[in-house]
Amino acid sequence: MNLRKVLTEDVLSLNLDGRTKQEIIENLLDILMKTGKVKNRQDALDCLLEREAKMSTGMQNGIAIPHGKTEAVEELIACLGIKKEGVDFQSLDGKPSTIFIMTLSPKNRSGPHIQFLAEVGQLLKEEEIRNKVMNAQSKKEILDCIL
Amino acid sequence: MEISMTHLMTVLVLQLSAIVIASKLLGYFFSRYLKQPRVLGELISGMIIGPYALGKFVIPAINGPLFPLPEGTLSVSPELYGFAIVASIILLFLSGLETDLPTFLKYSVKGSVVGLGGVVVSFLMGDTAAVLFLPKVDSFLHPTALFLGTLSTATSVGITARILSEKRKMSSPEGVTILAAAVLDDVLGIVLLAVVVGVAKVHSAGAGVPWKNIGIIAAKAFGFWLVCTVIGILIAPRLTKGLKRFRSMDIVASISFGIGLFLAGLSETAGLAMIIGAYVTGLSLSQTDVAHDVREKLQGIYNFFVPIFFCVMGMMVNFSAMKGVFFFGLIYTVIAILGKIFGCGIPALLTGFNFRGAFRVSAGMLPRGEVTLIVAGIGLASGAIGHDMFGVAIMALLISSIVSPPLLIKSFKGGSGLRAKQAEEKKEEAARQIRLDFPSVRMTDFIREEITHAFKEEEFFISRMDFNRQIYHIRKDEILIALSQEDNLIEINTSPKYEEFVRLLVLEALLELKELIEGAQSMKSPDSIGADLLKGLFESDEDKKKRNL
Repeated sequence: MNLRKVLTEDVLSLNLDGRTKQEIIENLLDILMKTGKVKNRQDALDCLLEREAKMSTGMQNGIAIPHGKTEAVEELIACLGIKKEGVDFQSLDGKPSTIFIMTLSPKNRSGPHIQFLAEVGQLLKEEEIRNKVMNAQSKKEILDCIL
Repeated sequence: MEISMTHLMTVLVLQLSAIVIASKLLGYFFSRYLKQPRVLGELISGMIIGPYALGKFVIPAINGPLFPLPEGTLSVSPELYGFAIVASIILLFLSGLETDLPTFLKYSVKGSVVGLGGVVVSFLMGDTAAVLFLPKVDSFLHPTALFLGTLSTATSVGITARILSEKRKMSSPEGVTILAAAVLDDVLGIVLLAVVVGVAKVHSAGAGVPWKNIGIIAAKAFGFWLVCTVIGILIAPRLTKGLKRFRSMDIVASISFGIGLFLAGLSETAGLAMIIGAYVTGLSLSQTDVAHDVREKLQGIYNFFVPIFFCVMGMMVNFSAMKGVFFFGLIYTVIAILGKIFGCGIPALLTGFNFRGAFRVSAGMLPRGEVTLIVAGIGLASGAIGHDMFGVAIMALLISSIVSPPLLIKSFKGGSGLRAKQAEEKKEEAARQIRLDFPSVRMTDFIREEITHAFKEEEFFISRMDFNRQIYHIRKDEILIALSQEDNLIEINTSPKYEEFVRLLVLEALLELKELIEGAQSMKSPDSIGADLLKGLFESDEDKKKRNL
């Protein structure tokens, strides 16, 4: 999986506005909307919220990976956003989530989806990298430390 | 004329019926009760029902034996041999399609050295054995010597893969080295066959074969293979994209196989063996996104045709022709085994394994199978080897395939197979195990299917390693995952690097399941569905009318 191809400066946000889980998910979706690759915002949102309803995608160490498979996209797209103050994402360890990676993949078509999530997760496993991402002053800095 | 054609076809149909039933039954018996590969059972079924055993007895209904011996070198009728040829093309087409190029490339250094060592040493030892022990064979370039050399090179990694998987050693350093070496072994074996067929053809035409001509033949064979493979890999994605417009995987699979048949014919006209074209077509398609579907669509004809091939090969074994060469057969078998032990073991020693590891790698490369049979069949059909040497080849195949599994299992007892320094580096690479326990076997079956489906969705190649047990190898690029199910327990083995991925994937598959269960709960209650189904079951038409009034 080529992370460099998927994660570019256009899909990064150093400071998300949202204060709740729903708002953060909508913030992230709006970033993806700007790429023009999401055909239907509502469909994409429904699929993300449905997935969250089954089980929260808030992992450990402040990382959350909201994701879903929807007909609203033609290829795998992803974005990364930061919320320094943290948001309650009903994460596994109960801590507030600060780094969010949203992924949408086409439904009914095979291709890496979980593999992408796992790869990003693998990168952010290191505390040092997480700290660098959290303290990044520019989008380029984020890309430099994860790619 | 019409009567004889009808008779001919009647006999053919009856022969096929006997072959299909006998090979399937014996194959099942071997795999289920003797814990041996099915191919051995299928091969032996041919020996039992063939023209040199039961098949020679006259059956009154057809005024002759079921398997009469035709004139010429082949022991079966050309019609029946035709079925075996098509089966060998299917076999090699699918072998090509299943080639795991990415794993090979990932472990290409160790794999290439081990594979190459095994092929070169086995070939030289097999060839030399023929020159030393067979009075008729006067030079290393004699077709019989060349065929005996080639016959001792091919490895059938299927048996090894099954054992590695059972012992959870598939992603061990020895395991991946064997799997990668087997890819090179296949390719080299096939190119070698191309060269040998070319040399044998020139030889049988009566001309001597000077060394420079061998060079030309080898260059031609390798050139054909390389050009076809490169062109194939380049155009395969476009071709399959075009074929997908038919919106039917049946059409995609059939046309792909049709192309395989075409290239098989083309390679024969180019002076090479047919299976080379079939293998190249499969190999070209192996990296396309339709590879998995094509394989699944062709699995049915594979299951039907390939046992016919093994059974027909068993029929070629003329027991009386083997009397004089039984002793040579034993020597050749030992030489073929030693060829692999030294040929693969020494390069393994040189690439970081200790003696234990090197022995594991070479034991894994021992089993012979499909390709050996195909090479032997081609040798027999072309007259390069006689019935005696064909029998020797089958003997070597049977013995080495029976000997290697216990040897391999035993070899994996004990500590690391790597030298101390490498072992230290690899220490943390020990496979991680994920165990999932479910309340019932039926539910576990269902969940296993959901999990393998989820891997397929992520574009992983899934291959079932054992017909009788639920053991799967799941692969993509350098990722190797083994999944097995024993009653209501699912076990997944993977390297630590991919543990998170596997956990996430299994979680998502289980969440999908949760949705399904919730959906089922919201359905009308089973009681009321049952009542609807039973309504009116024991009512007469009159009662029904009354009820409707």
